[in-house]
Amino acid sequence: MTVFLLRRLVQAVPIVLGIATLVFFLLALAPGDAVSFLVSPNITPEALEQIRRNMGLDQPVHIRYLRWMGSMLTGDFGISLTRNEPVRDIILAILPNTLTLSLSAILLAFAGGILIGVFQAVRHNRLADSALSVIGLFFYSMPSFWLALMLILVFSLGARNLWEWPIWFPASGMTSVDYPFMSPGEQIRDRLAHLVLPSLSLALVLAAGIARYMRASMLEVIRQDYVRTARSKGLSEFRVIARHALPNGLIPIVTLLGLYLPTFFSGAVLIETVFAWPGMGRLVVDAIFQRDYPVVMAGTFIFAVLVVIGNLVADALYAIVDPRIRYE
Amino acid sequence: MTRRTETLFLSAALAATVSGCLGGDAASRTAANLPPFCQEVLPRVEAFLAGFAHPEEPRFGGTAIVGTIGEMPSGMNALVSTDYTASQHQTFVHLMTLVRLDENFEPAPYLAESWEFDEAAETLTFRLRDDVYWHDGTPTTADDVAFTFARATHPETGFPNAAFWAHYAGGEAGVRVIDARTVEFSVAPHAEYLDSWRSTAIMPAHLLGEVPPAELRQHPFGSRCPVGNGPFVFESHQADASWSFRRNPAFPEGLGGPPYLERYVYRIIPEQTTLLTELLTESIDFYLSPGPDQVPQIEDAPHLGLRVFPFRGYDIVAWNSRRPQLADARVRRAITLGIDRGEILQAIRRGHGTVANAGVPPFHWGYLAETADSLSHDPERAAALLEQAGWSDRDGDGVREGPAGERLELTVKYNLGNQQREDIAQILQAQLDPLGVSVTPQVVEWGTLLNQINTPELRDFDGVVIGWVPEFRVDDRDLFHSEEVDQPYGWAGTADPEIDRLVDTLRVVMTREEAVPLWHELQYRILEVQPYTYLYHVERLAGLNRRLEGVRLDARGEWVGIREWWIPADLR
Repeated sequence: MTVFLLRRLVQAVPIVLGIATLVFFLLALAPGDAVSFLVSPNITPEALEQIRRNMGLDQPVHIRYLRWMGSMLTGDFGISLTRNEPVRDIILAILPNTLTLSLSAILLAFAGGILIGVFQAVRHNRLADSALSVIGLFFYSMPSFWLALMLILVFSLGARNLWEWPIWFPASGMTSVDYPFMSPGEQIRDRLAHLVLPSLSLALVLAAGIARYMRASMLEVIRQDYVRTARSKGLSEFRVIARHALPNGLIPIVTLLGLYLPTFFSGAVLIETVFAWPGMGRLVVDAIFQRDYPVVMAGTFIFAVLVVIGNLVADALYAIVDPRIRYE
Repeated sequence: MTRRTETLFLSAALAATVSGCLGGDAASRTAANLPPFCQEVLPRVEAFLAGFAHPEEPRFGGTAIVGTIGEMPSGMNALVSTDYTASQHQTFVHLMTLVRLDENFEPAPYLAESWEFDEAAETLTFRLRDDVYWHDGTPTTADDVAFTFARATHPETGFPNAAFWAHYAGGEAGVRVIDARTVEFSVAPHAEYLDSWRSTAIMPAHLLGEVPPAELRQHPFGSRCPVGNGPFVFESHQADASWSFRRNPAFPEGLGGPPYLERYVYRIIPEQTTLLTELLTESIDFYLSPGPDQVPQIEDAPHLGLRVFPFRGYDIVAWNSRRPQLADARVRRAITLGIDRGEILQAIRRGHGTVANAGVPPFHWGYLAETADSLSHDPERAAALLEQAGWSDRDGDGVREGPAGERLELTVKYNLGNQQREDIAQILQAQLDPLGVSVTPQVVEWGTLLNQINTPELRDFDGVVIGWVPEFRVDDRDLFHSEEVDQPYGWAGTADPEIDRLVDTLRVVMTREEAVPLWHELQYRILEVQPYTYLYHVERLAGLNRRLEGVRLDARGEWVGIREWWIPADLR
């Protein structure tokens, strides 16, 4: 399998470079550049030209492309045109925030979705199954940013100001402002508290979908002969479901993981905005509007790499859940 | 790898990533990533501050948190700074300017103790305070002022406000350091000569003197480890999340002494609903600037107060007089008469503002109050003016036609994502329709819109809903002088000898007594020429937690009095 994964990695290189090239030239087509946003009569045209020169924007697009590609291959993403910092430093500071949010949301979504799906399959066509289906459909059809605002209204504003619940969650940011002065234990608690609402808003919508897939897949598996055999052997119902049915029921879900991983790294921009989460989605979307080419390019590049890694993880998981799959 | 070990490996890798992200101490993580400049400078700041005791007085202490939607991308580097909030922090929070404005908008001493002109008004001499220190303990001297000026006028720096120095002899030649506390500049006589020194913060020569001008923009000083001399010391900056500052215990007693607040945090929360929630749940103390629709909720909360204060900004519809429909000033005046600007102000900003007739704001000493009611909503006068200019609805289709048969159809553009401007464009459409003026609102992405209106060869618009935030030194030359028609901001294409004469004279008149009548003349003339439909002067809103006391807000800005903000001990 290692050989297979390595081969896939090598194949990914031209894909990632191709995406980066395409995005570079598409961006170059957009009217205006980072300097054209400095709207003020105090800025003389000479100063604008000078700033363009300092940023290297006075060069023709193919030269800029070659320069960018050259420095990127050596790990240098250039300097942000609007934040005036090396893009590498910005990404290093912000990428972990995105990974924290997306990985915790994925863990929550898959753990929750799988559990609910299995439960529904076991209680097929009973009241609990129907009730969960309705609730699932409710979340599944809800835009995540709207759900996010509702969670804030209930668990932050309502919980604290209206109903005075003992527990309420912060509505924005990754940490409290006095975080640096907390003990390590408090710091972890503070971070987890800030993580709850954003990861729930991402996970709930997703978990609802996963539960539906899981339910269908388990229903399929439960009808199989080997499950009946396991039951007739006198195994406990828990053992039948957990040891015999579940591993086979999981196979389609792994496909979902491969599909969802990439959208999570890049697609959380609305959630990041609502919860003031300093993540990659916001960084790149802001950069697109400000024509901050180096940041957009670096962001695209990293998203592309994460997509490739996400797909590889899904491929590896296939082999793990299904012993019949062998990569040569 | 066997199946089991693979599973273990994968889950371990996943767990490591998650715990690494969760448990890692943010401070230590960023410290490791700091550029060498910061690693060298920050310990010096730490060492200097360690020598001061905590002030005893009861008002001292507590953390105030300001929440707003935007990051300060240009950071604390005054030499490359372009955004309003960053400039506010440079002048009032972290750095210092030579002069500041007092409550009456008169220049007052700050870093400079005094200043004087020679008799010919060609040499301007500043005498500096001797008790101001950079946050690393180095005294602030005339060398820092000379350095700031030399870099701000150096072409390679790309100092964005080059117009500040139009009347200064630039570069090293224009400035002389007489001694550590005295510095003089060669200038040509001009109006509001101190205004550049009100808005340009002084930068530390001992830290940035060796940096090549073209590299100042990307120097880590800006956003990673600025070292100022103002009332607050930089503590940390997390991109897109927050800026933290703490009290500068060495801030001169002669300027009021150190600030009351122990810490001040600027938080970036890009969604207004979240901002309001954070204000209501007391997670932030100061919400800048809430949407007018959020005002009732702030007013209803017993622990919050709404503050309304004047601002320099104004919103306009700029008309492109190069278009045949808009070439005649009578048509532009008729359009303004056809618009109920009071209603727009009420609808868009719940009345928080003043209907405008020129770019001179109501708090400015040159403001002409008599024109306030000129061109107020009067459809009959508007119709008469249009008839007089030859525009009437000859074919009865509801849209007027001009002398050559062209229809009075206008496309009014606004930028994507700006709800207020979208609403304005639609109100214009509704209000002008009965007048026989057909307006089509059109949304354009901001970067594209700027390109369409600023590029002299393009000027691809009839009208555009947009705003300006002028300096205190109001100067409309770039907007309306005939020599500027083919420069980026000559949107209206105005060429009027009277306006040319007035804006040119206003630039060099040195006393307010002489300038006031000229300002009045200019405002009358602008009513006549009507290059823009001025909509309103903006008033800013702020939601404040009542525990935060001593907050003074006026047109100078939100942070002007931050040194005097305080929180009662039992509410910290």
